[in-house]
Amino acid sequence: MMTALKKDIIVRTIARLFVPFIQIYALYVIMHGHHSPGGGFQGGVILAACMALLMISHGVEETRKRISEKTMALFSSGGVFIYVGIGVLCLMMGGYFLDYHMLGSLLNVPPAEARSLGILGVEIGVAIAVMAVMYSIFYTIATAGNDMSGDEHNIHDDDGA
Amino acid sequence: MTLFFQILGMCLFLLVFLVLYRVVFGPGIFNRAAAVSALGNKTLIILLVIGFLYHRVEMFVDISIVYALLNFIGTLAVAKYLEMEQRKL
Repeated sequence: MMTALKKDIIVRTIARLFVPFIQIYALYVIMHGHHSPGGGFQGGVILAACMALLMISHGVEETRKRISEKTMALFSSGGVFIYVGIGVLCLMMGGYFLDYHMLGSLLNVPPAEARSLGILGVEIGVAIAVMAVMYSIFYTIATAGNDMSGDEHNIHDDDGA
Repeated sequence: MTLFFQILGMCLFLLVFLVLYRVVFGPGIFNRAAAVSALGNKTLIILLVIGFLYHRVEMFVDISIVYALLNFIGTLAVAKYLEMEQRKL
């Protein structure tokens, strides 16, 4: 397996060169969600696509060393936490759920700008959650459900059964 | 200029069917993989031509960059899968 992976130098080099640009583009899509196509979901999918590219070119093991399943589980719930946190913050400031202009007094900006910043924060949360969930789906499909990152005990149990 | 882009778009639209023939009937999996990649490139150019026709190029460029990226990753995934299948056989 290792010798076969060392051979495809073109794919590995191209992937290594491309991944930073893809990530910059994903951040652009997230940040410019209001006046060009895209937004949180699309940006998150592009971020997940760069991880999928890494997994295809460098192999599942290599990617798992850098991005573990536990980190991705944390990110997916963290994204949802940002989304709901902003919503509940608006609720606590006296508005409705996700009623961004209530954040104006907290951020010390006019209500119109508070709306813009609020939707940006929500989109960042959505992007993180979508990236983590998409990566988890791709990882599960790539390893066919045989997650080797679990403790040794589990693997031996599977062998015994 | 609009007429030029209209004719260009129609020509590309007709060429898509030639490539689609290779995708459906093409002998062997490699012809199909290469044809799917070419089909993605044609779709990308058609998207840009539509952008020129609607005078919203800056919007369609964003879409076509994502399309090119996903096309690249998709072709790479198909190639990787074929490699793995070959090793198994």
